[in-house]
This record gives sequence, structure tokens and C-alpha cells, in this order.
Amino acid sequence: MRGHAPVSEVDGEVYRVAIIGSGPAGMSAASHAAQLRMNHVLLEKTDHLSDTIFKYQKGKHVMATPSQLVLRSDQEFDAGKREDILGRWNQRTEELRVNVKYNAEVKSIKGTGPAIEGSIQKIITRARDGSTTTTEVQRHAPPYAITLTSGEVVMAETVVLAIGTQGNPNLMRCPGGDLPHVTYQLDDPYAVLDQHIVVVGTGDAGIENARGLAEDPAQGNVVTVLNRSPKSANVRESFATAKEPNAKALVEDDAAGKLTIRYETETKAIEPGWITLNTRDGEERIRCDRIIARIGSAPPRGFVEGCGIEFASNDRLAFPTLSPQFESTAPGIFVIGALAGYPLIKHCMNQGYDAIEFINGNTDLKPADEPLLEAKFAGLPGKRSVNDWLELLRTNIGILNGMNTLQLREFMLDSDARFTKAGETIFEKNDPGSSLFAIADGSVHVRIDPNDASKVVPIQKGSIFGEVGLISGRRRGATVVAASDCICVEISRNAALKLQSQVPSALRAIERISTERQLLQMFGSGLTPDDVREVVDTAKIVAVRAGEALITEGADDKNIFVIRVGSMIVEKVVGGKPVFLSYLPAGSYVGEMALIDGGQRTATVRAAIKSEVIRIDGEAFARVLEAKPALFARARKDMEARRATNAFVESKKDGFSGVVDLYSEQAKFLVSQGLGEATDVLLIDERLCVGCDNCEKACADSHDGLSRLDREAGKSFAHLHVPTSCRHCEHPHCMADCPPNAIHRGPDGEVFIDDTCIGCGNCQRNCPYGVIRMDKVPPKKPSLISWLLFGSGPGPGEPPYKWSKKNTKYTGDPVADDKLDRKKAIKCDMCAGIEGGPSCVRACPTGAAIRVSPDEFLTVARLENEGA
Amino acid sequence: MSFVVRQIALKSSGEEIIRRSVAEDAVLVIGRDGSSGIHLPDLAVDPRHARISAIDADTLLIESIGEQPFTVNGRSTTSSELEIATGAELAFGGHRITLAREAESGLPAFTVRRVEAVSESAEAIDIGSAYTLQKLLPGKRMSAWGFAALVLLTFLAVPIWSWATYQPLALHKDARRPAGIHGDTAWSSGNLSLAHKNLNNDCQACHVQPFVTVRDNACMTCHKTDAHQHIADGARLLKARGEPTGFTGFQRAVANAFNKPAGRCVECHTEHEGAGAMPATRQQFCTDCHDGLKSRLSDTKIADAADFGTAHPQFRPMLVTGIAGDGKPLRQRAVWQDGLKESTGLKFTHAQHLSKTNGIAQMVRRRPGQFAANDALGCKDCHQTDSGGARFQPVEMEKACQSCHSLTFDEIGGTFRTLRHGEPDQVVADLRAAFRGGMPPRPANLSGMARRIPGAAAQQSTAADYARAVHFYPMQADQAVTAVFSKGGMCYDCHTVTRGGGAATAGFSVQKVAQNGRYYNKGWFDHKDHRKSECVSCHIKATTSNEADAVLVPGIDGAGGCRSCHVGEGGAKLASAHVKEPVASGCAMCHEYHMDTGAPWKPADKRKGPALLTAAWDRPRHPTLQR
Amino acid sequence: MATTPAPGPAPRRRTGATRERQSTHEGFLVHKNGKWIKLSAALAAVLILLYIFVPLPPQHFGSTWLGYTLGTIGALLILWLTALGMRKRAITPGRWSLKAWTSAHVWLGVLLSVIGTLHSGFAFGWNVHTLAWSLMMIVIVSGIFGVTAYATLPRALSANRYDSEGAITEKQMVEALRSLDRQLHDAAQPLDRECAVLVDNSLEQDPFTGSIINRLTGRYPGDATREAAGELRRLRAHRPRIADDPLDKVDALLTRKEAMLARLRRHLRIKGWLQAWLYVHVPMTFALIAALSAHIVSVFFYW
Repeated sequence: MRGHAPVSEVDGEVYRVAIIGSGPAGMSAASHAAQLRMNHVLLEKTDHLSDTIFKYQKGKHVMATPSQLVLRSDQEFDAGKREDILGRWNQRTEELRVNVKYNAEVKSIKGTGPAIEGSIQKIITRARDGSTTTTEVQRHAPPYAITLTSGEVVMAETVVLAIGTQGNPNLMRCPGGDLPHVTYQLDDPYAVLDQHIVVVGTGDAGIENARGLAEDPAQGNVVTVLNRSPKSANVRESFATAKEPNAKALVEDDAAGKLTIRYETETKAIEPGWITLNTRDGEERIRCDRIIARIGSAPPRGFVEGCGIEFASNDRLAFPTLSPQFESTAPGIFVIGALAGYPLIKHCMNQGYDAIEFINGNTDLKPADEPLLEAKFAGLPGKRSVNDWLELLRTNIGILNGMNTLQLREFMLDSDARFTKAGETIFEKNDPGSSLFAIADGSVHVRIDPNDASKVVPIQKGSIFGEVGLISGRRRGATVVAASDCICVEISRNAALKLQSQVPSALRAIERISTERQLLQMFGSGLTPDDVREVVDTAKIVAVRAGEALITEGADDKNIFVIRVGSMIVEKVVGGKPVFLSYLPAGSYVGEMALIDGGQRTATVRAAIKSEVIRIDGEAFARVLEAKPALFARARKDMEARRATNAFVESKKDGFSGVVDLYSEQAKFLVSQGLGEATDVLLIDERLCVGCDNCEKACADSHDGLSRLDREAGKSFAHLHVPTSCRHCEHPHCMADCPPNAIHRGPDGEVFIDDTCIGCGNCQRNCPYGVIRMDKVPPKKPSLISWLLFGSGPGPGEPPYKWSKKNTKYTGDPVADDKLDRKKAIKCDMCAGIEGGPSCVRACPTGAAIRVSPDEFLTVARLENEGA
Repeated sequence: MSFVVRQIALKSSGEEIIRRSVAEDAVLVIGRDGSSGIHLPDLAVDPRHARISAIDADTLLIESIGEQPFTVNGRSTTSSELEIATGAELAFGGHRITLAREAESGLPAFTVRRVEAVSESAEAIDIGSAYTLQKLLPGKRMSAWGFAALVLLTFLAVPIWSWATYQPLALHKDARRPAGIHGDTAWSSGNLSLAHKNLNNDCQACHVQPFVTVRDNACMTCHKTDAHQHIADGARLLKARGEPTGFTGFQRAVANAFNKPAGRCVECHTEHEGAGAMPATRQQFCTDCHDGLKSRLSDTKIADAADFGTAHPQFRPMLVTGIAGDGKPLRQRAVWQDGLKESTGLKFTHAQHLSKTNGIAQMVRRRPGQFAANDALGCKDCHQTDSGGARFQPVEMEKACQSCHSLTFDEIGGTFRTLRHGEPDQVVADLRAAFRGGMPPRPANLSGMARRIPGAAAQQSTAADYARAVHFYPMQADQAVTAVFSKGGMCYDCHTVTRGGGAATAGFSVQKVAQNGRYYNKGWFDHKDHRKSECVSCHIKATTSNEADAVLVPGIDGAGGCRSCHVGEGGAKLASAHVKEPVASGCAMCHEYHMDTGAPWKPADKRKGPALLTAAWDRPRHPTLQR
Repeated sequence: MATTPAPGPAPRRRTGATRERQSTHEGFLVHKNGKWIKLSAALAAVLILLYIFVPLPPQHFGSTWLGYTLGTIGALLILWLTALGMRKRAITPGRWSLKAWTSAHVWLGVLLSVIGTLHSGFAFGWNVHTLAWSLMMIVIVSGIFGVTAYATLPRALSANRYDSEGAITEKQMVEALRSLDRQLHDAAQPLDRECAVLVDNSLEQDPFTGSIINRLTGRYPGDATREAAGELRRLRAHRPRIADDPLDKVDALLTRKEAMLARLRRHLRIKGWLQAWLYVHVPMTFALIAALSAHIVSVFFYW
């Protein structure tokens, strides 16, 4: 196909540059090399370009984010259908006469030059049992010998490593594992019919294949999923490696009889048509026409380290240590793309270009994100270059010390640098916000008394603030004002999380500061960091599983716990039954009663959801109390108030046992329905709900025709119904894995998805409450009047699918039509920006629907209202 | 022969899954049984339903096994031949089987498809509407439109149409719509009063113009004669009512804004109140103006009046004060008070005549049957009601007095000669003539010139008379005349006689008589309504007064006054008044809004009674002398 | 065991989405602890007193000043009450609460019966005016029925949705029937024609079949499933018992389907009652508005 004889075929040829991996990064690099007429080769493991995107589902829409980033590559790239993009790339690659070597999987890269003095790399490998073995590798100078699995060797002076993070699939090791009907991937599950199939491996890939094969009874497949781990009510345990929603779905299919899950089972032997299994009750031989093994893939780290490339840390998520020009610790080997920590296509392509430019001798090329960063720093006083700014941030801000320039650039892309004049407010108490602030210059004051501006705690240059919002996911606990003119970096939630995973030191710093602050903020009353130093030193952050008891009634321990993340419920055994006493949101402290009064624990405290608490050593705290009578008094006051509540509930229990039981049952039910992590949840009183679905209609009509709530679905208890509608969790599961980072917490505390959604459906899968749906915006409906009078259109609410289908006006222009058809993630945004608040509540004719936050709803007041 | 069977399954996503198999036997069985060559899992199909066998290379025979029919090319049958080349379509229950020759293998291929879902519930069900009543009831929108249209048509369009089609009705006294249903009668808020019964069907008789209130001209179309204005000057009427103030003012303003002018007939005479008599106009409608009238109408002569029981002015009877030169009676209104006098020109003693003890009573007893009562004279003996019974005829000498007080003065052969009443000159002439003939042969039995007293016998005085007659002769005639007109004379005792008459009457003149026929001209009094009570209970003076001039008509209060029975509309009465059987009396009982001379209009009574009699002075001539 | 952080003032809203927060459920009848019922009751009392004690000319009460006033108020009130239909569906921004509207709608609607009747002055006849009045009363009465339905039925509705496995939604009811039907269909494969046809009848019957009467009474005479079950039992009585007779399974399935159908139909019945009254209330409202306009026009036409 290539018109001219590729240079590679000349024996002993040493390429100027060899690019490994033909993903966006590699391909872009190769293209530029070709453009520059450099002597190059592009090594691709498969028989086609950019395998990752190639494996996207058909017609998947690929987004070009960050949109503001300028593309710098010889390949064009713009948002569009997978097919179109691949098509354009292939065509362009042809035009540029890129020298591609398909089916060339690299086994190793070794320098063939002289050994480099003192450049020795330690590789630490962990075995299953936890023991570690350290091997040392002497680095050799270029040129590099690139050995392929075929045994062929390619020589190159420089290597651009763009292999992404996919790695290679692990293989079946049991006898017969090499038989042809043992496969490691499944392109089209619907092509398989009337077969007995065994799926090995319970990761997401395996689960998706299995479900695809058994999706429809008409396919006539008999699917068996093998799972090593034992069956358990908690799918997280039995399917550790899979995303919970996927695992749940699989278990449901099993229950529905679509397929079979065999727990505590492994393959023993494979033969044509049959497979022998090792089960708990001994061996078993079942029919099997096809085996799909999805037993994970070896991350490329080992291979990469083998090439002499060093990683920043042993953290699983750590990335290679790179120079600003992407050169790794192995001279002449450049790492770009996902492997370098840049998952976004645009980044990859730009890096490819940059790397080649650098290799080609252009040393003072500015990175493509330069203009973005310039824009970010534009607002700050003092004309500094981007690099100077970055340097300043790195040196001034403690938590950023551990970052390299590349990380810092990346980090700054999703953070903001703000200049605030002295006296200006940075954020106010009760503002929602989950971002972290770091002071690069100047200092700020935290107002501990909302009414008295004079009561402040200063925070100095280099330190951070706003971490409570970041950690607890709750509203800002205090107002922060600039004490002097100051420059702060506002670190978005994602950036902050990434930072903590990348830079362990940062993590520790943040944890310590947050602990200290939490204590100071909680007990206020003139405590200074010194007072609590001992406490903070002894404090320990403990994770608590949902339902796990933090304090057990009758126990003798004296520790105090501060809820850092999540929430707790307090219950007490009255008359042989556990009675719900109160609900504790993050930021509360618990356990001081035993400390103050001595004696046993008087009630049990459980985690409503997966939580984190700061465990404070009782004695240490006791000493603080003695030192600070004011604090002691306050603690006592709190205790009395709480005592009163308990007393009230117990008194009720004597008189109106039934009511109290109902009340605590209800409370437990609500907690089980995720109220524990909710900030604002829709509750329906079924004694009032007439099922008119006006809430759904209102929702649809105030959100371009798509309802974000399913009234009928969802669980109920004692006439209290929790419909399928977003709870706006403190730590939204949906945010966890959003490629374009389109999910944010809005100014009113709502969790919403912005327009940059690419419809990947991750959030939908990640939401444990199933409140996110993927759908496309229906066409506009005729006006309400014309429906009322003449019944034109589908009427209020979400139009039926048929109607939308019929009335979608296609323009014929592929781009526009593609927009019309694009499915996006849809979820409740609490009607943010709509005067009057959530439409579902406003539109309920009978008052059955209300939106509450758990601490509003789970109160003793409720018990009183219940008429007890 | 072998057949190809292509089973087509549909995935829920809609895409097809095709399973191809080849059956290698001569006979292909179609049925629900699992062993069948073409297995149809369909309850509507028999376990072994039909069998297919080859007749020759191009023709197949399909026949039912259990006599159960199946469908070939849309026609139900139990056996049929199938041309492979042309193909065929078989239908078993919910399955369709198409026969065609498969291109690749050249074998006859049966493509099996389930065309009906396993069950009805498996069909597409629109959850949105399935759980509503949409399919079971006519749509709300439709019925809403329907009902609304129906109502608008029947109760708006039709009435307006029927109004439009009978335009000329308005303001024509006798124009009537033909009997039958007329749309606009559906607008009637109630039946018309009996008086207007005949208009029930003709809305436009009164509602002359659309969106214009009923005006007086509508009423006047029929009530040409019997509905006069209260007073001619309408403006003055309004002035009398006065500018409404405060809330009433506001009401009026609104009414005007809605084009409802004040002072229309219908404001009092409300209609559509149901078939029955028109209700009496209430006192309020009068007192609106007449209560405190003076304050609004300073120049009025009418006194303020409100409730009869408490706020009615004293009556003002119209009295005869004398006779004018021309002989007509002079009249004047005076505020009623005890002992009023009027000059009737008569002398009469009511008390004496009504006495039950004196001679008059004796005389009545001696002549039973000649008078109303047998023990003494009664009012009726002289006062006769007029034909309507509302009032009394004037007393006539011939009817009322003559039977006792005869005017005979001579007898010739048993025939009495009588002086002519009411003709003084004739009286003089007759007397002169009587004395012309010189001395009578024997003393005539003269009646003499003195007034006859009932019961005196002529004979007793004959001698004396005769002697006197002889003694005065020849100039006795003039004496006789003088005697008649002078005190003790026949005329003088009842009439007022003056000198200054002509020669014909020997210088005497008899004053003309005026009897008052109606004292109260503004109010209406009807004796008929008071039959049950004694005359004297109101005319109490009649038994005590001996003066003919005394006014015996009662006033509003005092003994025998109206208020001794009549109280206000609401039963109000003065503290001073003691009423045994109170009679509630609104203005309308005595007064008439439309100022005609008749009795006041009364509910449920039709107008009756003759034209009103006024005070008569000119009495009819003597019947015997008419000719 | 704890102190929660000091509850700060209501969060500052930057988007202008001001919102009333409530922390407990409050039914529409007692909205704002009975604000509207109290208001209506008071007004009704006042109006009745006015009607009795204000001195007025002895004509049709409707054409007195008080009558006209009541009439005007009534007419406007009717229009406003009708506007609920719009309010309910026009989800405009703003601090309105449909619950408040419903509450007002209900109680002012009841008050309307007083206003309208007083306006009539109890003068009824066969005319457009009385027509309007009676339509009004029909609407109000149907409305009152609806309110009682709304107040009482929801409990039954939710109770019916629950069983040992928790709630079942409308979708799931259909799904359950579908799967039962599928199982029936498979289980009935081995049966002979006679029985197969019986089962088939049950399968071919639309679970939503039946007239409005069936819906509202919940009685479905001649239900195919019940008949199939009964008939099959009768047939089996005459047959020798054999091991794992397919009829056993079919019978069990039919019984389950019957139960499921029964529940579905209870659901349909309750929902039916919750909706049926609107089929009177709404059309009559518009008939009323038509009659009302005819009434007003006629009054001024023959003024």
C-alpha cells in the first residue's frame, strides 16, 4: 500500500526516532516526524491504528476536551463519531506516509550504548504475600534496541513511549488454556448464539461480556460466570474488582435466571466442548463451547520500569518522573500520553508533537497549554511569566512542593489562581463548595463567630483553607476574608483528589491541618493550635464501614470521635429494642459523655454510610478540657442538651412504644435509603400521594422535557416513600469517574451535570441509587394552551418515546443531527436557578412531596409531630 | 426429500436471530410437539397439527393431522398443495411460515416467524395511559367542548335568534308572538304577574331594545289612560327624591353607569316575581320623597309625611264656607280640629232627630215599618250611600224630610194643596192665589201658614183659623206669605231666609243649600270598607250636635279619629293612641301614586266604583213640575 | 452522644432560587394549618348574615346591589378556580406552591356553593339562571367527592402496592404478568388441545380489559384466567393422577396469575376512583362557564 520503499527495510538501519503505540499521542508524534521527514518508525501492537479508540462501541461520540486547549498536531481532531475520527486519522497517516509497523508488539527496550555512570534504577516488585524484591537495572545510553515479540529488533536513537495504560491481558494457565475456543475478548456478544459459554473473571469487562451474551433469551446462550470469591449479600465483597452497579446487575441477571454465577469456583481443565471446574463441593464437568477469559491485564509499569524509566512513587496511580519535555529518567526515552498521566486525546496529540519537536532540536518550544495558563495568571498582580508563577506556587505552597512541572501545569489547568484585596471575602459561611484553597502570598482570616467580625483565626502564607468543604462535602463552615492582599489558588475537588493521590506529602499535610482545624472550629472558644497540638498528634483518621459500630453501648473506652466524612446515627436499646436517638452529620463530635461523666457508653453510634472519623485519645482530650474550663463548660452544655433529647425519646418510649418504634424504624429505613450521605432528598408521604405524577411532569417541563425523577420506583416504609431521585450526596458517587469532569456541585449545593457531558454513562453506572439516566432531549412541545384547548402535542410532562421519535426534526446536516440524537446523562439539579426551588415540590397538589436534608428531617421534632 | 427450516427469533431490541436447520425426512410435521420438524411453541397449535410431504420436485402437499384447520395464503383449510416455485404463506396460530426455494441449496425453505406475541400482556402496553381511564371514558377535553357548545347554543344562540326573528313586537299594544316555545323565554327569571300574564311569551313587549333597560314608554304602550304621572313635572319629582348620598349615591352612580336611569315605572312595579298579583307598593317608595319633603322641596305646600301611625300630618278637610254670588259654593281647606263649622245653608238638629226618647222617637214607634228602625230614626233614614257605596248621596227634602214635614196649606175636597219646595216665587204666587177669592163659604179647613208638625190635626184649629182668616181678610194673603218666610214659617225653620228678594218673592230670599260630598280629596275614604262599624263610632258628634253647620267628619286622631284603628304599615303607633284592633295601613291604602280621581289601586282588586261625586249644590228639579 | 455544628442561617442563594423549606409533610386540606378552611368558613358566615340582615327592596335578590356584588364575586371566583388547571400544568418559575392553590381551590370552591346559592336568592325555575346554578352545584359536589377520594384512597393505593417483597410499581405489575404468561406458555406446551386452548384464552386476554364499570367495581365476570383455572381443575378431577403432571405447574401458575391480576385490578379500581370524578368535574366546569356567560349576557340583553 505504501508507494515508496520504507526505510526500515534497510538492514542495520538506526531510526532517528521509534514511536511505540499508535494511539493519539504516538500517531500524532509519528505524523509530525513524517512531516519533518525524520527517519522514523511507528510500532503498533495490533493491525490497526489507535486500538483503544478502535475498541470504542460503534458510533460512540468522542469529545474534544478541554475545548479551550489549542490543538497542535499534524493530525486533525475534532469532536465527532468514532468512525469518522478513525477514518480521518488513517487517511491522514497515509497522506503523510507515516512508516507504520503493524503487529509489532514490543517486548523490551535496551540501551546499546555504554553504561551511564551511576544511573542505576531500583525496581521494587511486590509479590501477592506482600514481600518485596528489589532488582537493580544499569542504564545504558542510546541507541536503543527495541525487541519485538516476533523476535525482530528495531534500532532507534530516541524512543517515544506512547503505549497508554491498557497493558496486555493475562492468559489462562490451566491445561487446555491454549485451545482455540479460549478467547480473551469478545467483539460482538450478539454474534454468538445457542452456545454454552463460560466467562472467567468478574471484572467489569467479564461482567459486560457475560451480560451481553445472556441479554436476550432469544440468543439461546447458556452463560456461566466463574467467581473465585464466595457469595455474599454485599456485592462489593463477592465482586471486588467490578464496579458495584455492574456487579449488582449481574447478580440480578443471575436471580432472573438469565445466567448462572458459580461462586468459589475455578477452572481446572479445558477440553473441546467441555470444561472441568473446581468447586467447593469438588470437581464438576459442564458443557462449554466457548470460554471468555477476562482475568485482568498486567499494567505496563513493569515493562516501562524494565526500560529504565523511574516512577514518581510506588503508588498504584503514580506516573513516570518526566522532564518538562517528557524525557524520562532513561535518556532519549520520552513518555507521553495516558502513560504520562494525560488521558485526554488533545493533550496526547500535542505532546506527541512537542516531543518530536524537542527531539528535532527545538528546545524552547512552549507547551500547548501555555496560553491557558497565561490566561489563568493574567488576573494576578506583578508581571511574571507562566514558569515563574508555577515556580512561585511550588515554592510558596507547602502541599505543592512535591510536584514536578508537568504535574503542576496539569494541576493548574483545573485549578484557579485568584488575587484578593485585603478585607474582601473569599467565601462565606454556608456557601456550598468543595474546593480547597492554598495561600501563595499574603494571609487570610477565618471568622469563627458569624456575628462578630473581630473574632478571627489567621491563616498564614503557604497554608491551606476550605479543606472542610473538600473533605466533608458540606457547606463552608466559616467565612474567610483576606487579611492582606493575597494570592490564593482555588483547587477544584478533582484536582485536589488527584493531588493527594500523586503527592503523599500533600495528603498528610491536608489531613493534619484539617484535623486541627476541625477541632478548633468545633470547640471554638479561644482554643489555639498549641492547645490542641497534643490532641492532634495523637489523633488518627479511621475509616468506618457503613453500619459498623463506632461506639458500642456499654463499652468502657473513653475515646472521642469527630465525624470527618459521612454521617452517623445514634441508637440506644430501650425495652430490648434499639431506638433511634439522633442523626449526626459530618462535623459533629461524639463520645465525650463517657469522658466527662466517666462510666460506660450510654448509646451505640453506627456509621450511616462509609465514613471517616478522627479518633481522639480520651486522656489527651481530658487534659485539654482541664486546661480550658470554658471548653469544659461548653462540652457540658452540649451534653445536657443531648441528654434532654434522649430523656424525651425514652419517656415517649414508655408511653407510646409503638410510635417510637415506628419512628426509629422509619429513621433506619431512611438511612438505609442513603439519607446518611444525602444533602437534599425527595420524600413522599404515601398517605397524601394520589399518584398524579405531577412531580414528574413538572420536572420534565422545567428541564427540557426529560424527567429526572421516577416517583413510583424506589423504596417505601410506613407510608414514607423515597422515590428514585437524586439525593445530592455529600460525596457524589457520580463524580467519581467523569471523563470530561462535567459533574459539579452548584452554588445551591445541587450536584449537576454541565453541557460538556459526553454521554459515556459512567455516572449512571456509578450512582448506587440509579437516579441518573441516559437520554436525548426530546423535540419542543406545542404550547400548553394549545394542548389544553385542542390537545395538540403530548401534553405536560415527558413526551412518550413514540412522539419524540416522530417529531424530531432532522436537518440532514450530520453534525446537527448527531447533536439531536446524542444521549446525555440526565439528573436532578434541584432546579438550580429556577425561582421558587424544586419544581417537583412546588407542583405537588397534595403536599405529599417535600425535599429535605437529613438533619432537617431526622429530628425528635418529627417524633412530636407524629402525634405521640 | 429434505427441507430447510429457518426459525427466526426476535430480540427485544428488534433485531432478528436466524437459526437454520435442514430436515432430512420425507414427511415434515408441523406442531407444538418438540419432535416436530417445524416446532411451533404455540398453544393455538396442536401437538401434531399438520404434515408436509412432497408430491413431486416442485409440489408439496400439506394436510392437517387432527382435522384442525390452518391457513394457507390467507384461506383456512385442512389440506392444500403448495407450489415451491410460487411459494406460499402458511399461518398456524400466532406463527407465520413462508415457503420459498432457498437460492443457495435449491431446497424448499420454510421460514418460521412468530407474528403474535406469546400473550396479550406481552404486546406493547403504554404504561402512561393503560392505568388511566382514557380509553374507557370520553375525553375530558371533548366533553368539555361539547357541553359548553351545547349550553351556549341552547341558552345563548337560540334565544338571541328568536329575539332577532320577532323584531316588530316592541311598543305595539296588541302585537303578540305566536304561541309556542321561544328561546328567549329560557331567560325569564320568573313568571309575570297575573296582570301581565298575557305578555309571558313576548319578552320584547317590555324589553324593547337589547342592552337597554325597560323604559316607561313600554308600560305606556298599554297603560295609556290609567297611569298618569305622579306630578306633571318629572324634574320636580326627582328633586323631591333628592340627590342620593353615601352608599345609595354610589348605587345610583353604578346604576347610571349600567344605563339604568332612576324613576322608571319598573323600579316600583317589579316583575318576574312569579304568577300572582303585583305586590303592593311599599310605604318606603312614598316616604323616600315625602318624608322630609320640605327640606328638599322648600316651595311645596305638602306637609312632610311618613309612617301613618306616627308621622302623618293632621287631615285638612275641604269645607264649604258659603255660596258665591253666582250661587256656586265657596270652599276652603282647613286643618281639621274639634268643632269645625261650615255653612251649608240648612238648619238641622242631628241630636234631636236621632234621639231615642223624644217625640220623634214616639212618632217612629207609631208608624212602624216606615223607617229603617222601629224605635227611632237612624242615619240611613236620611243618608243614602251612592251606587259605589264609597260615599253618600246628598240628602233630598222630598225623600228624607217630606214624609213628616209636608208643605200642604189648603184642602179642597180632600185634596191637599202643597207649596212648591225650592221655588219661593211659586210659593208666594200660590198663596196669593189662594186668598183672592174673598171669604170662603164656610171656614175652610186651612192648614195655615205655620210649619206642619207631624200628627197635628187640621180640624182642631179650624175655628180659630177661620176667625183669624175672616179677621185679616182681604189683606191676609200678604200676611200669609210673610208668615211662611218668617220665624215659625214653613221655610224659615229649615232654610236661611233673608230679606232682599225681589217683588216676586215679596222681598224674601232663601239661601241656596250646599251639601259637602267629599271632605278629603287627597286621601281616599271608602265607607263600604267600614260597614261593620257604627256610623257614630267615627261621626261621634252626630248624637250630640244640633247644629247643621257642625263638621261631623273625624280627623286623624282624637275620639273617632282614624288612628283609633289605623296604625302604620309596620304597626307603628303613637304612644298616646290606644288601639284595640290595629289595622296596618300603608300609604297606598288611602293614597294613589298616579293622581287620578279613582280609589287607590289595590292589589288583587280590580278598579271599580263610579266616577267620583263632588259637593253638589245644584239639586234636580221637582219631578212633578218638570213638564 | 453528639453535638451537631451550629445550624447556620438559611443558606445564601446565589441563583435567586429562593425556596421554602419544610421539614415535615402537611396535607393540602390543612395547608398552613387550615388557613383557607378558616377563611372560607368566616366568609360564608359573614355572607349569610349579610343576606339575612341587610335591608333590600322586595325584588329578585340577584338584582339588588348585594345580589349583583355576590354574582360578580362568584363569577370571578369560578374563573379563578378554573385557573387551577392551568396553574397545575404551567411550571413557571416563582414561589408558588400548587398545594397552596389546591387548598384554596378546595375551600373557596366549597364557599362558592354558598355565594352562588345566596346570589340565586333561592329563586329557582326552568331557566338559564337556575341551569347555571345547578351546573355549579354539580361541579362543587363532584369536587367534594374528589377531595374525599384524595383524602382517603391513597393509603389503600399504597397498601395494595406492598407485599412481603416490598413495593411493586405499575411497570412491574405488567412485567410480572408478562413473565407469568411466558411461564404459562412454556408450561402449557405439553398439554393436549383442550387444555391448551383454555390456557391460551387466559394468555390472549388483555389484563387491562373491561369497561368503566368493571374498573370501578373491580368485578370482572367471566374472567378467562379464572375460568381456565376452574375448568382445568375440573378436568383433572376426572383424570388419573400421574407423576409430575404438567397440569400441576400450569395450575400453580394460573393461581399466581389470578392473584397478580386481582392486585392489578385493585390498583386499577382505586386509581379509577381517583380519576373518575374529574371526568364530571372538568367538563361540567366548562359547561358551567358557558351557562354563566349565557346567564350574564341574558341579564344584560333583556336588561
